[in-house]
Amino acid sequence: MSALYLYPVWLRLWHWLNALLFITLLLTGASMHFSLNWLIPFDVAVPVHNTSGVLLTVSWLVFLAGNLWGGNGKHYLINLRSLPRDLIAQTRYYLHGIFVGAPHPFHVSAEHKLNALQTLSYVGVMYGLMPILVLSGWAFLFSTSLPETLFGIGTVWIIAMVHLVVAWMLTLFLIVHSYIITTGETPTTNLKAMLTGWHKEASGG
Amino acid sequence: MFSLPPPDPRPITRWLVIGLFQAARRPRLSMLLMLALLVLTGSALANAVGPAASYTAAAVPAPAPVAAAPAPTDASSAPMAEGKGLLKQESQNCMRCHWMETMAYRDRETGKIVNLSIDGDAYSHSVHAELACSDCHDRGFSSYPHRSSSADEALNCVDCHEGRQDDGAPNLIGVKHEFEKSVHFTEGVEEFSCFSCHNPHTFHPFKPGVSILEVVAETNGTCLDCHTELLTPVPKGHEWLPRPQAHWSSVRCLDCHTPLEGRIPDRPSHNVLAAEESNQLCVECHSKGSALLSQLYNYRAEQAREEDGFFSQAIYNDAYIVGMTRNAWMDRIGLAVIFLMILGVAAHGYGRYYSRRRQENSQQENSQ
Repeated sequence: MSALYLYPVWLRLWHWLNALLFITLLLTGASMHFSLNWLIPFDVAVPVHNTSGVLLTVSWLVFLAGNLWGGNGKHYLINLRSLPRDLIAQTRYYLHGIFVGAPHPFHVSAEHKLNALQTLSYVGVMYGLMPILVLSGWAFLFSTSLPETLFGIGTVWIIAMVHLVVAWMLTLFLIVHSYIITTGETPTTNLKAMLTGWHKEASGG
Repeated sequence: MFSLPPPDPRPITRWLVIGLFQAARRPRLSMLLMLALLVLTGSALANAVGPAASYTAAAVPAPAPVAAAPAPTDASSAPMAEGKGLLKQESQNCMRCHWMETMAYRDRETGKIVNLSIDGDAYSHSVHAELACSDCHDRGFSSYPHRSSSADEALNCVDCHEGRQDDGAPNLIGVKHEFEKSVHFTEGVEEFSCFSCHNPHTFHPFKPGVSILEVVAETNGTCLDCHTELLTPVPKGHEWLPRPQAHWSSVRCLDCHTPLEGRIPDRPSHNVLAAEESNQLCVECHSKGSALLSQLYNYRAEQAREEDGFFSQAIYNDAYIVGMTRNAWMDRIGLAVIFLMILGVAAHGYGRYYSRRRQENSQQENSQ
């Protein structure tokens, strides 16, 4: 039996608030986009989406601050030298090893809580997609201050498509993320860790 | 029905914020975070409430005609310099009678009541506030009671504005050309003039900060004053339009009933189209083109931002139109990828479950 205190209170709080905001944005956004009045009425969806968008921006800045000064940033550093090997090992595990009871190629520690695949996808999401999503959202809110056309195409249209594509990709991430956390030692090991802060494993460590 | 905007969604946003705040009664850092969020939203709310309240005060005239009484001591309530507009001595002579709310007579020919009362407060907030009565009504009013021929003075907005361009009166020639193409002119509507829609004694452009719903309600009210036959839940000729009430509360009649080409942001076209020529193509608004967006919403948003402040405009931004972000192919691809991913994840999960059981079974067999 091993127990590691991986997630401090601020991080867990941030994670769940961020999740709440993201799901709110996803649901209100889908209602607005597909005109799903039965899900969330349009009049409610728009201001809630806008408010949550502003709050998500703040949430992202908190994440950035936590990484810069809270000591959380080290988990998002990609080790380029070992990356290809780790990636292959991790992918092979998810595609094959996991079905034949092979051991995890990665062991969680206080220094490295994310495996290579997680690091890469989290860096892509939090430092790539999220800023694009947030910026395109703000551009929507202030579309009047933007030029009418960009490269001969309507600016609002470009922003709409960027916002939409990134939203689709992040929805994809949410699905994969929700599933992949069940691949810990037991299906709820990782979920419990993000709730209690403690990463507990029955075997070794 | 037509003039009432739907319930304001703002309180819901407010609850959302308060809910988040209550949910996060945790140590210091989270408190700090939530405090920051609350300040952010709070300032937006405060900003949003302020201008609306001030507008109400400006637009609704005082119930008693005190402000309209022609006394120079009332100068403080009027934004103009002393001696101008209704405060000019001549105007005060007029207002001695015309301030009365009941000042009216019944026209012998038509049998209709003709209202002669002037709301001094509304006038002092109108674009013509600096004009004295005699600046427009210049002939035939010296004797009392006025001669019946005085009413035929044939006032003309376009000519008057042209003559007073140096005083800042906007040129109305373009409006005139548009009007002369409109159905109100070509169909020979009896006695249709500028005054049929615009009351020169109260006319003023919408102030920044007035919500789009209010702008829409008031603008549509002008049309529905005459087109009373449309005051039904599903008005004649609009049966094809989905959710008519939602459309009328957030879109002006003019947004479909004026030509799409050559629109300018600061005022709607006066070329009001006949029903059969009006826009019935949903995608003119509900698509990337968003003709409506550039006409009404963008312009208003810009004005409101100057008045309401940054965050309240961001949060209460009304510029989203259903369909603006839609692209049939993008939606199909997006939904297909999401569906495939869910399928893949489910298959992976089942594979894990299945192999785990097989392993357990074989372990049991081995141990036996």
